Amino acid sequence: MKFHGPRATLRMAELHIIGQIVGASGFPHSSLFCKWGIHTGGAWRLLSGLREGQTQVDSPQTSDVAFWSHPIDLHYATKGLQGWPKLHLQVWHQDSFGRCELSGYGYCHVPSSPGHHRLRCATWRPLGSWQEQLAQSFVGGGPQLRFPDVIYSGADRYRLHTGAAGTVELELGIILRNFDKYGVES
Amino acid sequence: MASPSDLREKIRKKRRALQESLAKSKDDVDTQALVTTEMEMSRDRGRTEVEQELSGSQEQQVTTLKQTLKAQRMRRRRKLLSDTTAEATRGEQPMGTELSEVGEPLDSVTKPRSTWHTQRDLPPLPVETPLRRRVAEKLKAARSKAETLLQQEALSEPTSCLQSLRDRETLTRFDVETDPGLLSREAGDLSTAARVKFQDVAHRVRQKAEMETGLPTAEMAYNFFTFNFDPEPQEEPVKHQKKRKSRRRDRAEEEEEEEEEEGDSHREEEEAGAEQEEEQEEGRDEDAPLVGDQGSELFIIDQTAQDFLEVKAVDYVGYHSRVQRESEVLFTPSLRTVPASSKVPENMQPRYMEDEGLYVGERPPMSRVNQNILENRILQQDEGKKWFGDDGRVQALPDPIKQSPTRPPLFSLEGDLDPALQTVYRKALKSKHAGRYIPGAGPGEGHRHCQLDVDVAGLIFSHHPLFSREHVLGARLAQLYDQHLARQSRNLTGLLTDKLNGLRNALRNIKDLHGEQGRSMAMRQRIVEYKEEVKNTRILRNTEQEKDRTLLKSIVKVWKEMKALREFQRFTNTAYKLHLRRELVELQKDEQGFEAEIQTELAELKGEFEDEYQRKMEQYSQQHEEWRTWRRKQARKKKKKAKMRDDGEEEEEEEEEEEQEEEFLGDEPPKPELPEKQDWALAEQQVRERASRWRRRPGEPVLVPEISLSGSITPTEQCPRGEIARREDISKRSLLVKVLYNDKEVSRTDRRTLSSDFRVHFGQIFNLKIVNWPESVRLQVFEVVGSSSSLLAEVFVPLPDTTVLTGSAPFQELEFGSSQRVAFDHEGVGSDVPFSFEVDGSNKLTLLTSGKLSCCISWAVDNNDVPLAPPTSQQPWGVRSGLRQMDAIACIGASGLSDMKKLSKWAAESRLDPNDPSNAMLMQLLTVASSGSMQMPDYFRLEQLQEEFNFVTDEELQRSKRFRLLTLRSQEVAEFRNYKNIPAVEREVSEKVFQDYERRLQEGEVIDTRDHLDAHRALVAKYLQKVQESVVNRFLISKHHFILSDLVQEDEVPSIGVLGLNLFKLAEPKRPLKPQRKERKKVTAQNLSDGDIKVLVNIIRAYDIPIRKPLSSKPAMASKSARSFKEPFAAGQSSQSALQGGDWPLSQSQIRPFVEVSFQRTVCQTTTADGPNPCWNEELELPFSAPNGDYSTSSLQSMKDEVFINIFDEMVFDITEDERERGSSVHTRIERHWLGSVKIPFSTVYLQSRIDGTFKVQSPAVLLGYSKERSLASEGGYDAVRCLSEGSFITLFITIQPQLIPGESVRERFDTQEEERLLQAAEVFQRDAALCFPGRPCITTVIDINGRAVFVTRYIRALSPPQELLDAFPNSPQETMDLVARYVSLIPSLPDSVSFAGICDIWSTCDQFLTLLAGDEEEHAVLLCNYFLFMKKKAWLIIGTAVPEGPTAYVLTYEQGHYLIWDPSKGQYYGQYDTFCPLQTVGCLINADNVWFNLQPYDAPMRMSFDVTRSKLWKPFFSRAFPNPGLSSVQPEEIAYNRPDKAAAAELQDRIEKVLKEKIMEWRPRHPTRWNRYCTSTLRHFLPKLELSGGRDVGEEHRLELHNLLGDYRISGFPLHMAFSELHPLMEMVYSTGVHNVEAPSIEFALAVYVHPYPSSVLSVWVYLASLVRTR
Repeated sequence: MKFHGPRATLRMAELHIIGQIVGASGFPHSSLFCKWGIHTGGAWRLLSGLREGQTQVDSPQTSDVAFWSHPIDLHYATKGLQGWPKLHLQVWHQDSFGRCELSGYGYCHVPSSPGHHRLRCATWRPLGSWQEQLAQSFVGGGPQLRFPDVIYSGADRYRLHTGAAGTVELELGIILRNFDKYGVES
Repeated sequence: MASPSDLREKIRKKRRALQESLAKSKDDVDTQALVTTEMEMSRDRGRTEVEQELSGSQEQQVTTLKQTLKAQRMRRRRKLLSDTTAEATRGEQPMGTELSEVGEPLDSVTKPRSTWHTQRDLPPLPVETPLRRRVAEKLKAARSKAETLLQQEALSEPTSCLQSLRDRETLTRFDVETDPGLLSREAGDLSTAARVKFQDVAHRVRQKAEMETGLPTAEMAYNFFTFNFDPEPQEEPVKHQKKRKSRRRDRAEEEEEEEEEEGDSHREEEEAGAEQEEEQEEGRDEDAPLVGDQGSELFIIDQTAQDFLEVKAVDYVGYHSRVQRESEVLFTPSLRTVPASSKVPENMQPRYMEDEGLYVGERPPMSRVNQNILENRILQQDEGKKWFGDDGRVQALPDPIKQSPTRPPLFSLEGDLDPALQTVYRKALKSKHAGRYIPGAGPGEGHRHCQLDVDVAGLIFSHHPLFSREHVLGARLAQLYDQHLARQSRNLTGLLTDKLNGLRNALRNIKDLHGEQGRSMAMRQRIVEYKEEVKNTRILRNTEQEKDRTLLKSIVKVWKEMKALREFQRFTNTAYKLHLRRELVELQKDEQGFEAEIQTELAELKGEFEDEYQRKMEQYSQQHEEWRTWRRKQARKKKKKAKMRDDGEEEEEEEEEEEQEEEFLGDEPPKPELPEKQDWALAEQQVRERASRWRRRPGEPVLVPEISLSGSITPTEQCPRGEIARREDISKRSLLVKVLYNDKEVSRTDRRTLSSDFRVHFGQIFNLKIVNWPESVRLQVFEVVGSSSSLLAEVFVPLPDTTVLTGSAPFQELEFGSSQRVAFDHEGVGSDVPFSFEVDGSNKLTLLTSGKLSCCISWAVDNNDVPLAPPTSQQPWGVRSGLRQMDAIACIGASGLSDMKKLSKWAAESRLDPNDPSNAMLMQLLTVASSGSMQMPDYFRLEQLQEEFNFVTDEELQRSKRFRLLTLRSQEVAEFRNYKNIPAVEREVSEKVFQDYERRLQEGEVIDTRDHLDAHRALVAKYLQKVQESVVNRFLISKHHFILSDLVQEDEVPSIGVLGLNLFKLAEPKRPLKPQRKERKKVTAQNLSDGDIKVLVNIIRAYDIPIRKPLSSKPAMASKSARSFKEPFAAGQSSQSALQGGDWPLSQSQIRPFVEVSFQRTVCQTTTADGPNPCWNEELELPFSAPNGDYSTSSLQSMKDEVFINIFDEMVFDITEDERERGSSVHTRIERHWLGSVKIPFSTVYLQSRIDGTFKVQSPAVLLGYSKERSLASEGGYDAVRCLSEGSFITLFITIQPQLIPGESVRERFDTQEEERLLQAAEVFQRDAALCFPGRPCITTVIDINGRAVFVTRYIRALSPPQELLDAFPNSPQETMDLVARYVSLIPSLPDSVSFAGICDIWSTCDQFLTLLAGDEEEHAVLLCNYFLFMKKKAWLIIGTAVPEGPTAYVLTYEQGHYLIWDPSKGQYYGQYDTFCPLQTVGCLINADNVWFNLQPYDAPMRMSFDVTRSKLWKPFFSRAFPNPGLSSVQPEEIAYNRPDKAAAAELQDRIEKVLKEKIMEWRPRHPTRWNRYCTSTLRHFLPKLELSGGRDVGEEHRLELHNLLGDYRISGFPLHMAFSELHPLMEMVYSTGVHNVEAPSIEFALAVYVHPYPSSVLSVWVYLASLVRTR
């Protein structure tokens, strides 16, 4: 009895991303929040879970590390490796007037090996012209990307002037399923 | 002398003993040996020294000896100066002399040394000796003492011994060094003499001093020595220092060392002493007391004191010693260059890649010294050589440093932040390396340059605005002459003539060989081709000849014109002169040739004509034949026709007919014409004429035009004024040419003035050193007038090939032109201006500025004849040149490339040479094309490899059931929303899972009439569903907006005021009997699960419940109370006589009611109470479970479940059959009879969070067996109020535990068509209202069914109700109103919160409402209000809150001085002061014109005024400040009503009856259900009457009727009435009455259904249910 029929082929590759956005550190301000999203290629299908979200605003009292502990739980099915999920983040700062301004953009690939991963995602921030920087230091706000998909797209950013922002810490657990059926060894 | 030696001997002994003892204690053998050596050494010292001296004397030079000696002495001296070893030397000095004396007899060789000593020591000796001896004795004592101390010290340091032994070796070495110094005196060298001299001087000084004082006294001598001892206190520290320096060195050795050095030290001591003595003598007075009487004991004591103290200096290591010590540890690489041999492996020569022609990258620059250091260091390491390359240099990457410093360009982002889109700064970004630049031509290094030489020779204008007319002609002449020259050089005519002759000869040859006809077809074909070729060539030749002649003619003509012009204007501007050179020819020969030519041509023409004629004839005959056959056919046809016709018809007619027929047939071949023969004579004439015109006549001389510039130009002063002005203008102008390379100006020529012949000579060569690839070279011609320059023309110069080099490049003449319009008022003709040569101004000419620029571009050649051109191999034009080869393809067009057929066609047509290598590519392509193997894919794929990488296909992914299930669950599709577990493996997912879902998807199209019983309603339901879907989708996003309270549950911090109040509360008296409800915590719906939520129903009391009536009571016809006149709606009858319950089997009270609450099929009931006004005060708890376990807000809101509160009468029947047992056992059966119910939708409970109040019990119009009890007298005053209204009431409190937060409606701005001003006003109005009275609802804009905001007054408009209703009671407006209200209430009610899941409150217009047949309270109210307005009533819409609905809409009418409040969904009205009016608060009133907001302190209808004109009480929306803009209504003009469909109603009636009967049987699974037919028919008969009366006041007659018919039965039953929407609510209602629960064995049932149709498919449904128990 061989089961190489359709039943065998119907074992599709699945990927679970379970984890959390732990927090951020190294930003010039406290009281930060984070908008996040997962971007995948066309071959990927989201089976369940939210692919984007926003954390609460955390204003740390003692240290400069903001903790969000924002859960991420996604379940993907895929028909190919292209467009492996990548996580893009936007760290925002809420100032004392309750206004939000951008503190950093970051992006990292979801690890491709199964297991538990601690990621540190460095972020950056567009600088803008000196007028804008001056205005930013006095009245807040600041330059933002008009099309935030630049964060994860491979487009040329060579004209963009950025400054380094802090790092966002993530903990992701990766579970691969049936990838070995397609010759992807984990 | 012996004593020191004794002392010495003693010391030695002691030391020896000490060492022995030490050695014993340590290591016997070793020390023994050492001791003996020491002994030997000390004994044989002299001998060894001599031996060493002997051996050393040969090697060492005297000078070095002297040097060392001197150094020794200097060191000694330094030591002395710092007062070191002062004591030791003093002590040893005599010893040394003694030793030398002792040593003298031992060895004769030591004599010189001793002499040296004596010589040196001699002078002080006579005085010193006694003194010294004395001192030495003292010293000895002290020393021995110190020695013992030291020895003790040494004992405590056992290692020092070993160390000392080692040090001894250095000592011997030291001996060697010193001894040669001593030896040198043996040779009697110079230094000794010098020293002696010095000594003598010193001596003399001393002697002089002695001479002054005479002989040295004891005191002097003592002083002398004390002076020596003066620095004694410092001596000990030094000694210690020494000890510290080399701790192991013990005293004995020191002595020995001193012994060796003593010679030097002694002498130096004396020298120093001599010097210091002088000082001493000067300062003796001061010094005297220091030394004076204290005597020698002083320093003995001092010395002992010093022994105990130890003063240590700062621990400092001298620089040199530190360096030395560090050098042991550290490695300092040398700076010297490492020889290459040590860097490469052995036996290998360094290999230089450059020499082998390999490319070696540029190394980073590095200083030589650093490199050496690095290499030296590396070489020391293990495997150090691996760092070196084959060339023996340290391996290094090529220089990574840019040649020129760069800085990242700065961009200002100017708000446009997207880098990908911003294009503003792209130009500035263009970096040098971005463009194509020539490799190897960089700015750095001495690479060769590329140089482009641009030679601008000059320019000639073929037209210039400043041309005079003569210039124009001159230019034309020159042009024509140029043309002529060009033609002559090409000599086309001659070539063609030759070719023609050749062809003719060939043709003639063929004819001669093969005869006229030729043999074969091929030959004939060739002849034909030749002839054709001859013909073509001839024609060509003739045209060329013609052209030549025309050109010549026009030259002459222009010259003539010019001459005429010169004559006319009487001055000459140009130097043109035309000479016509005549070449004479032989007339005879010429004539012959001319004639022969004509003849040949004629002959050929003849032949051609002949051929042509032949061909035409052939054609003709063929065509003629065709035509004839066709004619014949026609004739045959004609004959047939003719037979049928008359014979006498004329032929003409026939022909006509024929023609007609021809036309009719339409395919007659044209009748061919006979080709006419060419007119030969005419042809000959033509040929001759042509020849005479275009060819030189025989005998005419050949004219050769020659133009020279030798003519003289008239001087300016002789010219007219216009011409002078022109010439002046010319002289003002100058020209320059700018050279632009790659669109950048690189240089420009000098300005050159325009000469009168309009030629400008520049003759400048520009050498362009280029870095970038040449893309374009442009020359711009500028004309300068004064200081302003204008661009005249621009010339693009083709870039030269790399093979075009300076020197060999030809000049190019590049034409340029300009369309500038220039006009002058002088002789200049201008540009783009018409002018004429004629006097009358006709024949106008318009010329544009034009000219020729002569220039040359080429690649330069350097001194070594190397072209400075870029390398060709990497030229990007390679592609272009390839394309040039493929130009053939380009001529077909790009599309032709893909179209192989087209290409091959073109190739065949153009007769490509297949052997031409330039065509090879094309030919290959063609062969491929012709073989047809080339297949272009007819599709385009973006990522063609994507497929390759895919694991599975899309279809497979789609097919996966598991994934589908997961996705559906995550999408919260209703069926799968709460699917808890999904199998991990695909095969475990069963197909069945999707069945429901798929069925539902399919059902979207198909309407199931089974459930709906009515086609119209099915359609409506579907429509409603669609609307619902669209609305839900519209608000899906805004639904996901959470506010803080959705997410954060936060207890408010109590303010100080609240705290204070609470404190006061503590002091309040406790009132346990008056419990108060507290606010409970609200719980968000997300984190709930089954069983968490309970519905609490608190049933407090009921009033006025109908009481039982004795069965066999007499018909109480008379008892109709008088009250009914006053109150026509009173349903109950006063049957006061019923109290005597003798009929009842058990003595029971008149009624025993209990309440049963059912919710989601869970049933709870209270205890049974007694009497018509029972009080239960019981709390019932009902579990709640949300559909599918989904506790989200939207799901809870859309729950359609209702809480049924039913009041039952409990009846107990004794069923004891055996009378004997009656005493002992009780056997009863409990029956319950439904009395009425209250329905409260769950959504209301949910949204209100609690429902508290007294509600009217919906009791049936007729309740068989019961009657309203009217206890008249007993209950006094309260009754008086209560009796004003009919019916029973129940007080309830319903809530949900825990309290759920109801979903907020969407706070979203909607699309609208309203004016912005109106909307703003509405917003302000609403905000103000909410500010003043937060609890009062206020509505200004509502959302219509399309999701747009509409101002609310647009909904109010008078609309006519169905005519049937108006006609029903023509005389009684009261009853008509009633009927209309009833009609409206019969339209089923469907809360928006249910259909739209709490998104928003949607108001549909009346026609939509009637079409949908479902709507909220608002729709009912609007419709009713509109009807009332039509009936000319004063009507308003009340927006307020009511129980149990919550926020709702009622209708207010004004009737004869009092206001009536209508409940539109129930069809009932209440007076303003009715206690039981469900309307609790009034927020605002709305009519078609305005909106008024309630500003009164009270909002209960009873306590307020409805007079909207009083602006203090009612705030109008439209006021004088903001008048009503006249809003049009959204309602239709009138509503079209359908006729009531009686047939459909009857059908529906049957179906409902059938379904209900089935259901009742189904609900009684354990008992047989019998139907009493007779009763059913009676009931059925009775129902229409009920409908007619509106459910009022028919009960008594009916009951009587029933009694008459069914006297034997105990009947309990009731009619139920409701508006028809669906079957399901009907069933629920029947079920809730619990009739089916009666379990008496002999029970029978009766069920009758009546459906009464109203217009527009509004149906009123009556269900009569009865249970019958046979009593007898």
